[in-house]
Amino acid sequence: MGQDSGWSKRTLLLVIVFISCVTIFPWLGPPVYFISFAFNVFIYITLATSWNIIGGYTGYLSFGHVAFFGIGAYAAAIFGMWFGLSPALNILASIPAGLVSMLLAILVGYPCLRLRGPYFAVITLCFAFVTELTIRNLDFLGGADGLWLKGLALPIEVSRSIFFELMLVLTLVTLFVANRIEKSKFGSGLRAIKEDEEVAQTMAINTPKLKITAFAISAFFPGVAGGLYACYLTYIHPDIVFDVNVSILIVLMALFGGGAFWFGPLVGATILTFVNEGLSTFVKAEYARIIYGCLFIIVIIFMPNGILEFAKTRMVKKPAKFEAAVK
Amino acid sequence: MLKGTRIEKHFGGLKAITNLDFEIHQGEIVGMIGPNGSGKTTLFNLISGLLKLDTGKIEFEGSTISGLAPYRIAALGVGRTFQIVRPLMELTLLENVTIAVLYGRSNVKTVDMAREIAMSILTFIGLAPRFDNLPGQLGLEGRKRLEIARALGSKPKVLLLDEVFAGMNPKEIGGAIDLTFRIRDEYGVTVFMVEHVMKAIMRTCDRVIALRNGMKIADGVPEMVANNPEVIRAYLGDNYAKN
Ligand SMILES: Nc1ncnc2c1ncn2[C@@H]1O[C@H](COP(=O)(O)OP(=O)(O)O)[C@@H](O)[C@H]1O
Ligand SMILES: [Mg+2]
Repeated sequence: MGQDSGWSKRTLLLVIVFISCVTIFPWLGPPVYFISFAFNVFIYITLATSWNIIGGYTGYLSFGHVAFFGIGAYAAAIFGMWFGLSPALNILASIPAGLVSMLLAILVGYPCLRLRGPYFAVITLCFAFVTELTIRNLDFLGGADGLWLKGLALPIEVSRSIFFELMLVLTLVTLFVANRIEKSKFGSGLRAIKEDEEVAQTMAINTPKLKITAFAISAFFPGVAGGLYACYLTYIHPDIVFDVNVSILIVLMALFGGGAFWFGPLVGATILTFVNEGLSTFVKAEYARIIYGCLFIIVIIFMPNGILEFAKTRMVKKPAKFEAAVK
Repeated sequence: MLKGTRIEKHFGGLKAITNLDFEIHQGEIVGMIGPNGSGKTTLFNLISGLLKLDTGKIEFEGSTISGLAPYRIAALGVGRTFQIVRPLMELTLLENVTIAVLYGRSNVKTVDMAREIAMSILTFIGLAPRFDNLPGQLGLEGRKRLEIARALGSKPKVLLLDEVFAGMNPKEIGGAIDLTFRIRDEYGVTVFMVEHVMKAIMRTCDRVIALRNGMKIADGVPEMVANNPEVIRAYLGDNYAKN
């Protein structure tokens, strides 16, 4: 519910130019590695931004959000198998796959969203484990062997570039939705819930309905992303699409950037994907985890509102604080 | 308008409300007095649905509201403030009230419209110049005003005020008494208020309900209730009542 309901013409122009540059990037013939890396950045932005709708806006920290990604991946793969979809159609099946995630979020959210704070965090974490174990033990879902999908019969650069564009679109849509929610009546209701759920109820806010809606939306985009990812990789396995580290990384990214605003997760996911890439290239995975753990603690203690807010208060807010003290 | 019949509520072995009947009529300002721990806040929590009744029922405008979720009760037009103020701390004063307007009974279509109404309420309550402050920048008196502003934002028909005068100095109390009348007269809101400041009760209320240990011991015009021996005993102890 920010005061600015629209962007200035100049900002809008800058954003359009930037997006255009990003869009043509893969067709300029960069190494495939860069295209794949950008694809990863988009996925994380999508996941962190979606997570933020329930975690950042509403204050319900879901620690099992990777489950919705994994379910989307499996749903898309299953749709492809059952209906014998062509690779192109299978990509489209990512959208119903997102709906499957959403449906599951509603079913799970109904009982779980009654729990608050650490209880909600733990129950969502458990939900992700249970989902993973279930899939791992169901033979018709490939079990512990995983599932194969048909790939696009195109050269790798072309196919990667197509997925780059698709994920870019999904990312932009997710960011747009997050932005709209933030400025809407719905978003302000979520903020009230985050601040004090009982007070929100006395303000006539239908808190159960708002929470489940937020949870459902926050599960949809990861589901679609999972579907796209499955088609992109042409192979999925519980270890890959249900990686608990991803769940934690998403939370860290959103909180690192700042959970109260739509661009917080955007900034957090972008920065931390680079950090992640650097760590996994130069440091052993175990050390990387330790570093993440420390980062988590630093963020929670020193930057509870994220790095953007942290930087802002350091640079601008000093006079405001002074003014408050005088009053 | 608001009516409770044979209400009971206990917490474990403690009887917080025992066999209580009450009724508030439209347009009244009704006070509720009673020593600390006599169940006043509990009664407000029961009315607003934050606590569930053990037995009895509460009706609002003829239909039963006890058992409904708090947001449904609020949506029907029962507003409240909290004795220990509970502003939404990360939101500005204007945002606090705007959200109430958005979800309240005003039927606004846009956030901008809601903001306008919220601003007029802040003006009414005397907080308009500080609309952009966070609640943390206000003193206690200001926060209590904010609490009322947010409740008015929902456009309630009846407003439960829980000790909004407590901790105020005499000058502030004068302003608050004035405000209570204006809430009823300008916003057309029926007021049910818990208060310890007798001066405020005597000057504002049409009727006073007195509680002791969760039981109603008096209900009538302020002078009568203030002179009721049971009430005096409740407040000052047995010795005073005998004289
Ligand atoms: N949620 C609760 N759980 C247990 N006991 C409570 C609760 N709320 C109030 N009480 C008890 O009920 C009694 C009445 O409290 P309250 O309604 O707050 O009194 P008042 O507002 O008149 O001072 C007190 O003894 C208090 O300790
Ligand atoms: Mg009380």
